[in-house]
Amino acid sequence: MTLLTGHGFWNPLLWLAAVGGVTLLALAVWSRGRRDYTRGTDGELPFLSGEKMEGAHVGGGHLYWGFVEGLRPYVERLRALHSGLVNDYVAWWVVILAVVFLIVLVGS
Amino acid sequence: MNLTAHAPILAIAVPLLGAFALPLWAKLHRSLRGGWLVLVAGATAALTALVAVQVYTVGVQVYTLGAAWPRDTLTPGGFPIRIVLTVDALSAFMGLITALVAMVGFAYAWRYLAEDEGKTLALTLGTLLWAGMLGMAFTGDLFNLFVFLEVTSIAACGLVGYRTWASRGPEAAFKTMVMYTVGGLFVLLAVALLYGEYGALNLAYLARQITGSLIDRIALALLLGGLLMKAGAVPLHMWAPDAYGEAPAQAVILLVANTQISLYALFRVLFTLYGGVADPGVGWLVVALGTLTLLVAALMAVVQLDLGRLVAFGAVSQIGYMLLGVGVGLTAVAARPAYGLVAIQGGIFHMLNDAVAIGLLFLAVGAVEKASGHRNLAHLGGLGHDLRWTTGFFLLGALALAGIPPLNGFASKLMIYQSSFLLSPILSALAILASILLLAVFVKAFQGAFLGPRLTAAEPVPVPMLVAMGVLALGVLALGLFPELVVRHLVAPAADALWTGRDLYLQAVLGR
Repeated sequence: MTLLTGHGFWNPLLWLAAVGGVTLLALAVWSRGRRDYTRGTDGELPFLSGEKMEGAHVGGGHLYWGFVEGLRPYVERLRALHSGLVNDYVAWWVVILAVVFLIVLVGS
Repeated sequence: MNLTAHAPILAIAVPLLGAFALPLWAKLHRSLRGGWLVLVAGATAALTALVAVQVYTVGVQVYTLGAAWPRDTLTPGGFPIRIVLTVDALSAFMGLITALVAMVGFAYAWRYLAEDEGKTLALTLGTLLWAGMLGMAFTGDLFNLFVFLEVTSIAACGLVGYRTWASRGPEAAFKTMVMYTVGGLFVLLAVALLYGEYGALNLAYLARQITGSLIDRIALALLLGGLLMKAGAVPLHMWAPDAYGEAPAQAVILLVANTQISLYALFRVLFTLYGGVADPGVGWLVVALGTLTLLVAALMAVVQLDLGRLVAFGAVSQIGYMLLGVGVGLTAVAARPAYGLVAIQGGIFHMLNDAVAIGLLFLAVGAVEKASGHRNLAHLGGLGHDLRWTTGFFLLGALALAGIPPLNGFASKLMIYQSSFLLSPILSALAILASILLLAVFVKAFQGAFLGPRLTAAEPVPVPMLVAMGVLALGVLALGLFPELVVRHLVAPAADALWTGRDLYLQAVLGR
């Protein structure tokens, strides 16, 4: 059942057993927590920049906003390359063919 | 008739003829069309499985068209002039992937496609695409590789663009057609060059003749150019998100299998046809393009808001892992270190894992679109309230594709990480980075579409669509929990076919 991965091994059943053990440990820690928590209070509302908003949804466009902003310089360049014009698609092909020919003909 | 001996050609002929007969049955009655499709698909899957069992238990299978006995590959003069099918473990493995994807796709299409939305056309083109893919996997002849490449191209473009009432389908089909046509011409030119030099088209015969001359190398560059495009390697991938984004869901999973078959053709050319004159530089080229593909596609997926295009970029990214795995093996094929074989096994295993996981994601996206009428993350939200099964399937596929243990994507990615690390730690680091990006992408998609308050009304997803997704979900779990069994019985023989099986492939056809 153990898959040799070249440098190590992988056994999903062992991993599941380990996860089960960690889950039991977490439950044991959790069971020692406070018991005076009451449901239906403000503590259950989503925390959105400190504002109390019932029924609010963090949409797909907002999630990882900072992450995307950080990558924006790279992503904008990539977006520009994906122009949607088939002429550009073929132009990239010419570039790659030149590289392939260089490696296959000259590189050898 | 000895069914076992004729199974390789029947596996191609049945869906090919079945596809052309499908519209005729539909003219008579819809139920006849359905019955015919079940018959054709069932027979094709059974024949493909029969071929695979023969290959995995007996060895390489050959079939000569027009010969008195299917195994008579040579003329009395010792020349393989007839059309020969040559099926080794890798070909059989690819055949099994196409069978799985096609059967699931047809089951899903049963209720996904409406009658007035070109259902007969879509099913016909899907069957034709399956026939073309099996032809590419099983052929032992370079010209027929081109012929089946064209069959798959025509069927794929039809599937992308047949929904003429959808504004962007025909445009995506046009772009795909331009790329496929130019790529097909490159392959044809390469075939013509090799035929002009050696007077033969048989892969095994050519493999034995090729010495690495200038003409051989020009042909190799043309084959690489054509097949890398069809596989969707960056920067020749740009047609793929357009096509995957516009084609109906049941067709997209066939298109994904089609790119994988093109990868298979690329590996066949590099390891079998040019295996005797393999150049480490070409291996490094494949590694570089693989790394570029997995990174660029993952980055592009981060900023997508259309769920279909987001998953499409995820699918392109997975092609990068396959290229990286097999590329690492190609750089090492001369020295044969142990990590080279593990890399190839990882790349091939990832083909199966990708077909199952990305197929599940595309089908889930199709279910979301059918149920809610939207695919844009800006409009979607809270679908988990109404589409519980689809939500679970999407989550399972997304986690598998991001390589989260113990799901199936993890095992193959681990093999690729570890083997590419031994070639260069940078490759491994970049591959892991792309997986992290993909995890972020799918967390964003899952949160945006399925969690939160109910923003979009959703109709129930028809049961046949859920069953089709359920089959793939079971595949994700089974491949993830028992990877060693799959690698030992299916993947390792397929990887050996590339790593050490070249001589066996040649001997099966040429006999010495």
